Amino acid sequence: MASTEQPVDESSKAAVPESKLARGPSFSPIYLLWGDLALRLLLFASTLTGVVVMVTSKQTELLFPFPVTKTAKFNYSPAFIYFVVALSVACLYSILTITASIYFILKPSPSNKLLLLLVSVDALMAVLVASATGASASVAYIGLKGNSHVGWIKVCNIYHKFCRHIASSTALALVASIILLWLVLLSTLSIYRRIR
Amino acid sequence: MENEYKNNHVKVANPKPFRFSNFLLRILAMATTFVAAIVMGLAKETETVPFVLIPGTDPLFVPVSAKMRYSSSFVFFVVANAIACAYSAFSLLVTIGGSKGSRALALGITILDVIMVALLFSGNGAATTVGLLGYKGNSHVGWNKVCNTFEKFCRNVMASLIVSQIGSISFVLLVAISIFDLHRRSP
Repeated sequence: MASTEQPVDESSKAAVPESKLARGPSFSPIYLLWGDLALRLLLFASTLTGVVVMVTSKQTELLFPFPVTKTAKFNYSPAFIYFVVALSVACLYSILTITASIYFILKPSPSNKLLLLLVSVDALMAVLVASATGASASVAYIGLKGNSHVGWIKVCNIYHKFCRHIASSTALALVASIILLWLVLLSTLSIYRRIR
Repeated sequence: MENEYKNNHVKVANPKPFRFSNFLLRILAMATTFVAAIVMGLAKETETVPFVLIPGTDPLFVPVSAKMRYSSSFVFFVVANAIACAYSAFSLLVTIGGSKGSRALALGITILDVIMVALLFSGNGAATTVGLLGYKGNSHVGWNKVCNTFEKFCRNVMASLIVSQIGSISFVLLVAISIFDLHRRSP
């Protein structure tokens, strides 16, 4: 198997530009690289929007019969703080990896070590964002429905805007975690294609 | 030099340490997710709490119970762990029974492993948050803590969360091992 590929390997080393689109053994196909870049841009957009929507969710309401105002903020709940931190980390990571992805497109023979590092950190980010989504969604659900068994009242009938923001940013985090899953799968596929 | 490297590495298709740790981690994942689902699923406690109906009179003692299915996050946690347990049993059989060097099989198992990681971690995140709310409460919206009443229930939930976390981490290690393995086999 390896011996038959030997001449192909040498010719592709000699002429790099022509073999960009070829399914050469040591090159990721170009459409995987473009897909990678597109997914990382989407990841950046969704995590940034998620963080901004969550942070701007503050709402102050006048409780009607009494002359008092009460405020709902994201940092009143540790789950939402964790959510913001996790999504910020994912956002910074996506900025870093967008540059790496552009570098791969310009020079489509990335070292194996770098690919391995990328896919490992992608998997860690997927874990982080998935757990943040779960945490935020469970608090949001209690806020929406309440829990009559332990007497936790719902708060979304008072803070409409706050709940809309929380729901949108949780949905964005869900999108981000699905994108991260796809990134891991794409990188696995591109490593897998090199086994011939 | 590159070709030498490739020749050396294609020969060793799947060395023993990888297969052994893969096998061990799958058994660990299966056991921990099973225990987590069972402990959480059976967590139930009934307590009698004093309840003052009319001020000045003796309090009434009312039985109240805490059950797993009162919280949708705990239900999600149990379902996620049950799915992960069933999948790890299935993947254990496939990895033992499947052909040793099959690339398509390795890829399929890796993809499903990654999906299980996401499922388990979101379940853990959801259940941990509700557990933390029960333990600490949230004064800003008037959600009282419940763990001072239901001590045994909270202990069960905590044990189940820790055990499930071990299972989730072993799935992460499984993904890491499969990626390293695929990577090592690539030229």
